[in-house]
Amino acid sequence: MAIKGTIFNIQHFSINDGPGIRTVVFCKGCPLRCRWCANPESQSFSPELSWIGKECIGCRACVESLPELSCRFEGERLCFDREKVVSLEKVDGVCPTGALSLIGRRVTVDEVLSEVEADQKFYERSEGGLTVSGGEPMAQPEFTLALLSEAKNRSIHRTMETCGMGASGVMEEAAKYLDVLYFDVKLHDPQKHKEWTGAGNERILDNLFLARRVRPDLTIRVRTPVIPGVNDNEEELREIHRIALDLGAEHELLKYHRLGASKYEGLGRDYPMGEVKLSEERFQELKSSIFVTGVL
Amino acid sequence: MKENQNSKRVQKLHDRLNEAQNYVNIERARYFTESFQKTEGEAINVRFARALLHTVRNMSLHIEEDQLFAGQIGGPERYGVLYPELDACFFGDLRAVLSDRSVATFELTEEDRAYLSETVAPFWAGKTYYEDFAGRLPEELLKLTYEPSDTKKSRFLINETQSMNSATQWVHDYAIGLTRGFASLKGEAEEELKGLKADADQKTKDFLLASVIVCEAVMTFAERYSKEAERLAAEEKDDRRKEELAVIARNLKKVPAEPAETFYEALQSQFIMQMFSRLEQKTSGTISNGRMDQYLYPYYKKDLEEGRLTPEQADELLSCLWLAMAKFRDVYVSPAGGAFSDGYAHWEAVTIGGQTKEGFDATNDLTYLFLKNKQRLPLDFPDLAVRVHANTPERLLLEIANTIKVGSGHPKLLNDEEIIPVNLSKGATFAEANDYAVSGCTETRMPSRETWTSKGPSINLAAVVELTLRNGRVEKYGDELLTLETGDASSFSSWDSFYEAFKTQLRYYIKKTCDQIRLVHHVREGHFATPFGSVLHELCREQKRDLHSQWIEGGLNFAFFDMVGYASTVDSLAAVKRIVFEEKRVTLPELVSALNADFEGQEVLRRRLMRAPKYGNNDAYADSIGREIDRIAGEVSAAEAKKEHDHFYIDIRYVPASANVPMGKVIGALPDGRKRGLPLSDGTSAAQGADEKGPTAVLLSNYYSKNPSVNNRAARLLNLKFTPAAVAGEAGSKRLAELIRCWRDLKLWHVQFNVIDQETLLDAKAHPENYRGLIVRVAGYSAYFVNLSDELQDDIISRTSNTEVA
Repeated sequence: MAIKGTIFNIQHFSINDGPGIRTVVFCKGCPLRCRWCANPESQSFSPELSWIGKECIGCRACVESLPELSCRFEGERLCFDREKVVSLEKVDGVCPTGALSLIGRRVTVDEVLSEVEADQKFYERSEGGLTVSGGEPMAQPEFTLALLSEAKNRSIHRTMETCGMGASGVMEEAAKYLDVLYFDVKLHDPQKHKEWTGAGNERILDNLFLARRVRPDLTIRVRTPVIPGVNDNEEELREIHRIALDLGAEHELLKYHRLGASKYEGLGRDYPMGEVKLSEERFQELKSSIFVTGVL
Repeated sequence: MKENQNSKRVQKLHDRLNEAQNYVNIERARYFTESFQKTEGEAINVRFARALLHTVRNMSLHIEEDQLFAGQIGGPERYGVLYPELDACFFGDLRAVLSDRSVATFELTEEDRAYLSETVAPFWAGKTYYEDFAGRLPEELLKLTYEPSDTKKSRFLINETQSMNSATQWVHDYAIGLTRGFASLKGEAEEELKGLKADADQKTKDFLLASVIVCEAVMTFAERYSKEAERLAAEEKDDRRKEELAVIARNLKKVPAEPAETFYEALQSQFIMQMFSRLEQKTSGTISNGRMDQYLYPYYKKDLEEGRLTPEQADELLSCLWLAMAKFRDVYVSPAGGAFSDGYAHWEAVTIGGQTKEGFDATNDLTYLFLKNKQRLPLDFPDLAVRVHANTPERLLLEIANTIKVGSGHPKLLNDEEIIPVNLSKGATFAEANDYAVSGCTETRMPSRETWTSKGPSINLAAVVELTLRNGRVEKYGDELLTLETGDASSFSSWDSFYEAFKTQLRYYIKKTCDQIRLVHHVREGHFATPFGSVLHELCREQKRDLHSQWIEGGLNFAFFDMVGYASTVDSLAAVKRIVFEEKRVTLPELVSALNADFEGQEVLRRRLMRAPKYGNNDAYADSIGREIDRIAGEVSAAEAKKEHDHFYIDIRYVPASANVPMGKVIGALPDGRKRGLPLSDGTSAAQGADEKGPTAVLLSNYYSKNPSVNNRAARLLNLKFTPAAVAGEAGSKRLAELIRCWRDLKLWHVQFNVIDQETLLDAKAHPENYRGLIVRVAGYSAYFVNLSDELQDDIISRTSNTEVA
């Protein structure tokens, strides 16, 4: 039987997820629960319902056609039983605007790659290709490894974006198929890491070193989202930078943004970061402190 | 001069241009009328030549302060000129037409208004091209073209555009004028005229006579300006300006009568040629400038080598030339013409890059100078186009990307890998095909080989959807049968039967379009001549035939029509297929009722229709319909063309100018969910907001919806819009260059980029006063955003912006 995985999006013309023009396959499900997560729909391994209020025209088609969800309007807000399992076709066919939608679908490696291959021309010219992202791709090991190995067969350039949390065997195997690895290191301090993401970072760092051992030639980019109140200080970032330097990896700082806030609303959840913001000045200051002044 | 700074002179000229008003200059209309009154009975090309001579002998002259070139055909403000032989039937209340309409307004003095309506219009009554053409339309074509009861009103269905212009875009073989000079060309014609045998055919005699007169006219034009510069120099107090004027006078004493020898002389000679062309006839979107980096390069190189010129001086000269060109505005007199040229449309294409006649990369130092100049000077002139091919150097691609990012929408790109093979397959030689120049919006010309001058109809493709849904009728004209009856909405039991009806309607519509083209072609040569354009055309000089002649031996004739609302049409059909026949959400008659109600109370249905597959997402469901439309249009027009002549092609193009706005106004609600009266999609771009998968998908849809085996294909206009964030920095330039390479590999005809964010556009709409310099691309030309109508502004704002967030 064909290997299947659960993904929640395939994004074409991505230009920040690896070299060149890329298509990003977002795997659904992540072992971490970073409080600043910009893709809350990526966290759960199961398909889940989302309702985007501004897309809704209040036609009540869902109320009538999806009785199993017990849809009802409270004022202009749609309430429904988020735990019920419904099929993608069923939801898609009901809501005329897509305001109510099911996030996550089961797909085969071949289905994914035929959509990825549509943009082959663009990869060739830009040295781009496939980026497996998430969620956490290593959390669906069978699917991710099959995807990467088949992409290699089809001469598609491969990048993986990972939070690093996965079995060492999976990391070792994935590294063999990769051209580029984007590896998130959020915090150096294991305690704080557990506090903010729900898990310690020991295995994450082990995986990072493992990837380097297995593939001394692999392009690795350590990525650190700079989150206010979490790691927006020189000490923390410098430690992470030192790790990157030791590994001969690139290091990139990503500025915290709030673009995910509306997605929490769609999923009926509160945005855990509240109102915090990171000013551009502070971000630039941190950047220059790390990259210009250096770690010494 | 610093790297990113224009000279004080250029800044002053630019500021003055931004402040200038638009006036109609009636001198060309006056002197042509006076001359035509005296030349009744002579051949049309001789009459044109005499009228030109009469005009340049009498017209007033304007040399702008600080300007380094002379040769304006109006002024001192920005000006447009009138061509009564074309459309004097609209001159009766011209002031109302030009100053009251919402777009592209012009001022006209009371005295001039009176002269036009009392003297010019009466002479031309019944003689104009417009009236002749309209009078000859057979009934079944008339009702698709104009209001049958008032032929001055377009129906915006099969919209003729020939009456907006005497000729389609044209590119002169400027090198002829630059290297030979008009004294020599005149001498040659005189010799030949003298040598003619008594029984030589009349057309040959007329051609040579017209050539002699027109060469005399262009030299007179330059001579008068030379004297004017001399006169101003004598009066001038400032020593520096005195010297500049003396140089202008000296240049014009020499060129274009004699061959140019320096870069400055070549530019002055070229300016005289292009301005004289504008005096001669209304070439749509103004005359094109040809491959300037090629024909100017020898002068540039020589001047640099001999220490006569620095790159900085060359740059200033180019800026002055663009600023001089920009003073001329195309006036579209008919209401349809006005609607098609929102924002003072202009297409004086300057072509750079590409390949040499021999087929090698043609990039040179001037190519880069033109791009650098464009980055510095925030002016929507000239309409800069770069030819891209397999061996375009990386440096040039990056310089193109850097220029695009400045945000003015320049340069547009044309693809040698598509255009050259198409031209070869239609009978051009390699040398001719390699030497094409961009002409007009996204069109191309092979100078001295192509001979077709009629502008093509612009057809409202979305109307064919209505004709199919409404049994040969459209919503706007109620019960009036416009085409064929292919069955009521209730008569279609399957998608196939509905699609067949659509194809029948489409074939009929395209056939009528071809009928209109052929009629234009037959009427044309009785009204227009271009003795000057013919002198600058090797084949015309060889055959002794005016370029407007019906057929010229050895010429290649590429007529065309433009299909407007391509994506809107494809999306509408895809929605009918999916929602009506597959999902069976509504019956076809129910859909028609919802359209009649403009979706009032039918929002659920409208939203379902909007979520059906859409063109622009690399989805074969929609794209295959696009390809079938393209195939049928190509098949019908190829057959129609062959009825006429072997070297005659009727090409399919997708270039809307701004016609997608007025054409949308006459179309009711469409099955793609678009509401009544809104703009149709433009060119081969996706419908507004329908492209959800980014630019790669738009490019691929474009690729998969054309028919590469059909050779009567031509320009497909494609707009891609990016926010500055998506292309920021060096990495962004590289990304744009990569995208350009992919576009080139896909062999798509044309692409242009807007790098602008939506917020900026919304703010510009609300506060035009803060954005007077904001330039955006509108289907092939760049315009000041604040000059555009509200609808077109909204249209641009609504086009999906490809932005990337982390």
